[in-house]
Amino acid sequence: MAKSTAFLEFSRTDPAKKNVAERLRNFREFEIPLNHTELLHQAARCMDCGVPGCHAFGCPLHNRIPDWNDMVYREKWQRAFLLLQATNNFPEVTGRICPAPCEAACTLSINDKPVTIRHLELQIVEKAWREGWIQPVIAAQKSGKRVAVIGSGPTGLTAAQQLARRGHAITIFEKSDRIGGLLRYGIPDYKLEKWVIDRRLEQLKAEGIRFETGVDAGVDISARYLK
Amino acid sequence: MPGHKVSAEIAAVRHTIPGVTLISPPPHHDIYSIEDLAQLIFDLKTINPTARISVKLVSEVGVGTISAGVAKGKADTVLICGQDGGTGASPLTAIKHAGLPWELGLAEIQQSLIANRLRNRIRVQVDGQLKTGRDLAIAALLGAEEFGFGTSLLITLGCVMMRKCHLNTCPVGIGTQNPVLRARFSGKPEYVERFLRFIAQELREYMAMLGFKTVDDMISHSELLYPEPAIECLKAQNLDFSNIFYPVNKDKHSIRRSTRQPETWQVGDLEAEIGAKSQPALSRKEPVTLEFPVRNIHRAVGTRLSGEIVKKYGAAGLPDGCIRINLKGSAGQSLGAFLCPGITIHVHGDANDYLGKGMSGGRIIVTPPPGATFPAHENIICGNVVLYGATGGEIYINGIAGERFCVRNSGASAVVEGVGDHGCEYMTGGTVVIIGQTGKNFAAGMSGGIAYVYDRTEMFDTLCNLDMVNLESVWSKSDQEILHNMLKNHVKYTNSRRAKMILENWEAQFPLFVKVMPIDYQLVLERMRLQEHPSEETVSATEEVY
Repeated sequence: MAKSTAFLEFSRTDPAKKNVAERLRNFREFEIPLNHTELLHQAARCMDCGVPGCHAFGCPLHNRIPDWNDMVYREKWQRAFLLLQATNNFPEVTGRICPAPCEAACTLSINDKPVTIRHLELQIVEKAWREGWIQPVIAAQKSGKRVAVIGSGPTGLTAAQQLARRGHAITIFEKSDRIGGLLRYGIPDYKLEKWVIDRRLEQLKAEGIRFETGVDAGVDISARYLK
Repeated sequence: MPGHKVSAEIAAVRHTIPGVTLISPPPHHDIYSIEDLAQLIFDLKTINPTARISVKLVSEVGVGTISAGVAKGKADTVLICGQDGGTGASPLTAIKHAGLPWELGLAEIQQSLIANRLRNRIRVQVDGQLKTGRDLAIAALLGAEEFGFGTSLLITLGCVMMRKCHLNTCPVGIGTQNPVLRARFSGKPEYVERFLRFIAQELREYMAMLGFKTVDDMISHSELLYPEPAIECLKAQNLDFSNIFYPVNKDKHSIRRSTRQPETWQVGDLEAEIGAKSQPALSRKEPVTLEFPVRNIHRAVGTRLSGEIVKKYGAAGLPDGCIRINLKGSAGQSLGAFLCPGITIHVHGDANDYLGKGMSGGRIIVTPPPGATFPAHENIICGNVVLYGATGGEIYINGIAGERFCVRNSGASAVVEGVGDHGCEYMTGGTVVIIGQTGKNFAAGMSGGIAYVYDRTEMFDTLCNLDMVNLESVWSKSDQEILHNMLKNHVKYTNSRRAKMILENWEAQFPLFVKVMPIDYQLVLERMRLQEHPSEETVSATEEVY
């Protein structure tokens, strides 16, 4: 870590919340993002542990948390984003709704407050969207194979994106009339607003993924048809 | 050890100055061969006859031969150390690429010691990431009778393997001097105890399975071990494990473990006589003067006496010059090793290697034999590695010393009339005056102390290693005073012609002296001076200023 004593100098600051009167009037997100300086301080608190609990034990995606914390501190945001998307297809989703087991596993949480990992993740990816670093990744070569993905929840979308980038022709079958599954129908707006999903779906469409909504696999179409 | 971690407590323990960087672990410049090691063991046994001396060896090819040498050198324990350990401050390259598994080294040591009929003389200890009772069972079967734990005990005390020991930022308060972080330490001795009890319990379970009653019975039964068949595939097929499990017990009467009883080290005749004749000083602090002829078979003269004095009077020893020992002849190795305050040894003749090794006080004077016709400052009078690791005392040598003069000296002051290569290497304290030629690589790794070199040819800068030191002239009054006093003492004790010549022409000669000043040490001294005159801007001696 560029600043090895930062965890002693700065304490944890969580993003503030909008006031209740305002929140009562709508169902929108209520977290107020940290400002730039505060973000750098929070990233600096990462101790670059020899055995980082957040990365190997806490995060099911094995996000390279100490690495992108360091990059944020050094203000190398694009590098931070590349490290983040290497293991995580939709950081804007996990950055909002993940219960952050990484923070529970953070070494600082043994006797102090953990690094604000989830919020840093969100800020990195939102910066990437603003700067236009998130673009469709079109496969250079088509494999000529077709893959059907049943269900358009977070898993289906991730699988579809990874397979499409390998050059396969992907069709997602979704029984509801909108794409998103749990993201759209299971998570309320104050945690994850719908535009966040739509923004990502644009990228998926541009990568050549076809969406078939209102198709209940097994009822409307058979496994034989899919073959 | 970085200077900012050398706090006042650490400096006191290590006899250095707070804030001065220490080269750690130390390169053992007193050990270049198995004979050197035997000499060190001899010295340590002489200073403390009841001490158990343990020699730690890295597991590597050929370690069996070394262990045989260690046993013959009369060490009590040989410790074989595997590849897997390493402190959090170790570089990754060292953690990943240094050493071999302890199993290989241990098997080799055990076989070598038994083959040479030395196993009964020495205890074998093993360490290197021992974590379970199974590890201990394997180690015992391969021949170890003692087991060392490092990392696993630290983990029980709360270590989270941050690998930040060298940065002073350990968040659980183990590897840090920062009081805020130290307050976060949550370990208790009971945790270590409980862990070791579990280990012992697991070892007992393995012993029950194997049918052993005691660990002693278990030692060196490698025939009970076999390679895991599950790994006998593909590349592992090419590995030959037979030498690890080589049956060393073919001869039923061969002794497989240490049977030596703790014994008290017997000192030589000269040492015994010195001890007997010093009784008035030892019991009543009466000054005594002793005269003996000395030969090079008399090693570590004065060491046993120092041990007794320190045992009785503590580190302060006796009043200066209470015991005077005059020796005539060629003194053996380690003359005055670990010498304590109160003893003055004067050798009329010459001295061997390790003169004044580890001395903490007292005075050693070496002069050519009376009637010698050669010029003292052109002739070598004592061996290599003088004052290795000394922490105090004075030494006056009327002649040239060998190589590695004052290596790791951290407090003794010395006057000598010339030195070989690598003078003042890794020095961390003390004052050295050299009124003659020096060899190459002077002051390599010197992080503390001061050396004054009489540089008549003005070529000294080509011989000095300037990585860590600055060269200055002796311009300040205080420096001149120190130098003048040390030379005056040199004349007083040795009647040195060269020192006399310099003192007689002081105004003309002192500008020829070069002051070798370690860069770190200078900063620390400045900070200490500030602390003596406190003001608002005072910074702590250990605070980093750069």
